[in-house]
Amino acid sequence: MKMVKRMGFIFNLDLCFGCMACEIACRNENQTPHAIRWRKVSRLTNDTFLSVSCNHCSSPECFRVCPENAFTKRGDGIVQIDSDLCTGCGYCIEACPFEAPQFDPITRKASKCQMCYPRQDRGMPPACIEACSTEALRYIDLNTCNDKNLVGTILGFPDIKLTNPSIAFYPAKERKRYFLR
Amino acid sequence: MEIYRHACPRNCFSTCGMLSYIEDGRLIKVSGDAKHGYSQGRLCAKGYAYTQYVYNPYRLKHPIKQNPRGSGNWKRISWDEAYNTIADKILELNARYGSNLAVGYNKFSGNIGLLHYAVEGMFNSIGPHTKPVGNPCLITGEQAMKKCFGRTISLRPEKMAEMNVIVIWGANPAVTNVHQMKFIFQAREKGAKLVVIDPIFTQTAAKADIFIQINPGTDGMLALGMAKLLIGLEKYDQEFTHDKTTNWEEFCQYVHEEVDVEAVCHKTGVSIDVINELVHLCADTKLCATWIGYGVQRNKNGGQNIRAISTFAAIAGHLQEGCGCVYYSHNGIDDFPINLLNLQGPEHKTIKQSREIDINNFPEGARNLADPPLKFLWIASRNPLSQDQDLHEWELLMKELELIVTVDLFMTKTAQLSDIVLPAATHFEEVDLNVSYWHHWLSINEKSIPSYFEAKSDLQIARELMQRLNEKSPGFSNFPYDRHPIDWIKLELTPTVKESYSIEGIEDLFEGPCCRNEEEYPQFSRSKKFRLFSPEITESCPVSEREQNQRAEEKYPYQLLTPQSLLKIHSQYEAVPWLNHGGEQVVVEVSEYAAEKSDISEGDKVEVYNQYGEITAIAKISRFLPRKIVVVNQAGDTPINRLINQTVQSSKGLSSANFYDSSVNIRKWCDENG
Repeated sequence: MKMVKRMGFIFNLDLCFGCMACEIACRNENQTPHAIRWRKVSRLTNDTFLSVSCNHCSSPECFRVCPENAFTKRGDGIVQIDSDLCTGCGYCIEACPFEAPQFDPITRKASKCQMCYPRQDRGMPPACIEACSTEALRYIDLNTCNDKNLVGTILGFPDIKLTNPSIAFYPAKERKRYFLR
Repeated sequence: MEIYRHACPRNCFSTCGMLSYIEDGRLIKVSGDAKHGYSQGRLCAKGYAYTQYVYNPYRLKHPIKQNPRGSGNWKRISWDEAYNTIADKILELNARYGSNLAVGYNKFSGNIGLLHYAVEGMFNSIGPHTKPVGNPCLITGEQAMKKCFGRTISLRPEKMAEMNVIVIWGANPAVTNVHQMKFIFQAREKGAKLVVIDPIFTQTAAKADIFIQINPGTDGMLALGMAKLLIGLEKYDQEFTHDKTTNWEEFCQYVHEEVDVEAVCHKTGVSIDVINELVHLCADTKLCATWIGYGVQRNKNGGQNIRAISTFAAIAGHLQEGCGCVYYSHNGIDDFPINLLNLQGPEHKTIKQSREIDINNFPEGARNLADPPLKFLWIASRNPLSQDQDLHEWELLMKELELIVTVDLFMTKTAQLSDIVLPAATHFEEVDLNVSYWHHWLSINEKSIPSYFEAKSDLQIARELMQRLNEKSPGFSNFPYDRHPIDWIKLELTPTVKESYSIEGIEDLFEGPCCRNEEEYPQFSRSKKFRLFSPEITESCPVSEREQNQRAEEKYPYQLLTPQSLLKIHSQYEAVPWLNHGGEQVVVEVSEYAAEKSDISEGDKVEVYNQYGEITAIAKISRFLPRKIVVVNQAGDTPINRLINQTVQSSKGLSSANFYDSSVNIRKWCDENG
């Protein structure tokens, strides 16, 4: 199937200060149980943070390994999971380099970020994007985006070769630090 | 689905505009209010977690009573019984002592909505009583600003986006004021430089173009060193300094004679090259914002620090019209009559006024009272047994009290030691009016859901309790308990307020938050001058005290800094699961130096201790922490404030608490058996 669009994320390391609004806004929107983190903010280095969810990869491993064919990829690139088909085998959880599918101990099924497609279908941005006050996290059709300053990966991000995730980065710039001796 | 408009009432700079989404009387989610010009349709992580805060299994549902106090032997009681017990006690104490001076309260910032002054109003309405005065948080700085500027000043913080240089001293907006960061980044996007000066390499420092680490409490010294270099370079604003300051000659003389740049470098830990770089950066533009954080005044040098920093901004020409500004706080609340706070109670035939205790020395102040002693304490919007200093004094005070009533949403440390605990409402369950101590937006807070079980707002409790008192003793209280919350709000919207916010009435606020008209830039002139820094005459430290300090230095070599955590405000939000994954152990950050000295490895269980107590924590070794600093974030369950002691302050009610003046030591935790 030819993708009309390739919806994905752009993450600007300079603009993220780890406030976690995106992660909790995701929970607020989707009311996920507290063991489940569809989006996760973590410290990447001493002075940078990373906010990662499902990257709606071009070659999603979850899609490939799922014995029930519970995963589909929409025309806009969003990877969905059909929870009715999921048996909770956990293959996708093991296969995903980004820890995107999460095991829900209550339903005993995997669930994951669906890029707020119900919101997108109504013309609204995903909840995490709306919550980001500095636009460190944005969403875009990566097929239409050719900013030369964007890079495909950054140090500390899982290997992208396998799945070709729909995320691009603006790397951090150098800064001056004067520490006490 | 219904949507209602709110303002987040936490003790936070941002006071965000918020929308609630209600289905069948239940809050299903929240979002930012796009009509709020400061928060611009976004919340912080804590704000997005409100569904879990409102419907939290740990929330208090009913009035409860325990006997004996501290036993945990709680029994559910009716509001009726609670009101009767409390009213009877107040009346009995009044009969015993002939006044209500044995009755007092302690309330601060758990909810900073204007109608929460109902607590003060309730006590005012029974005539002279015992009340706290002052402010633990920011008053030292406010006083210092007034000394320099002649009044408090505040420009819209949105203006920071237009600056060429932003210098932040001791504030960490990336954690405590997240919505300011976008304005700072907007300035950076246009080429501005962000400078952060802090002892801690904070999340904000990590985003700075230039981070300057400084020894805590020495900010003022750095500013004076900068002033000396600026004057030496003749880069100061000559027109301003000559015409618009009260004491230019005197200041020059002071700087010339008393400020030794070498000593400044030694004491602040900042090298001369860095000070020079900073001075040049600030001197090359007038569009420079200086933001003084509350952190620089949490120590005994607080006032001097702030006057010195403001002075540097003044002589660099940053205060001239159309230039930068010094940001500290916004006193927007001063526009309002605050009718509840200022409610005039009935007169007492012999006692002219209420007894005042400095809130920063509350338990000791209360214990020193006699004729009559304090016997009844009402605690609302506050968790002093976790967040105050001198916790041991609090425990002693509580032993002397005959009845302690706490109003809260959760079973806090303070509630655990109370006789009666009353369940408080969230801001979704009450109406209110909110201003910020930072930005200039006014918001109304609507009631969107029914009360959680039997929870009530502070105002509702005041109305009902005062009515009950009057039923038992007619005329005891003059609280206008027939007045509805919405009418209290309308009373706040005086003609001056309406003009300041360009609104015609309360209806405009239901349409969205309103911004205060632009305040006039602080105009300095020949008749209204800026007062430059002059050293305060401080009493010389007696020898014995100096010796004591030295001894303390050897026993407790580390200075304790206790900033806020990202996902909490003081002890609030502890029970919210989304904000508390990954274990809730207290973490102590120590320097590599301290770790080596005490043989501590990353992840070790350690004890942080001093003469006031100890807490156990998990060690995190930071290579960015100054050698002699230990950092433990604010939290409620194992309060680090147990180790904080307040030095007695001379000016009652006019100093903030010196939370950062405490010294501690650390050691590896040992099992008693091992």
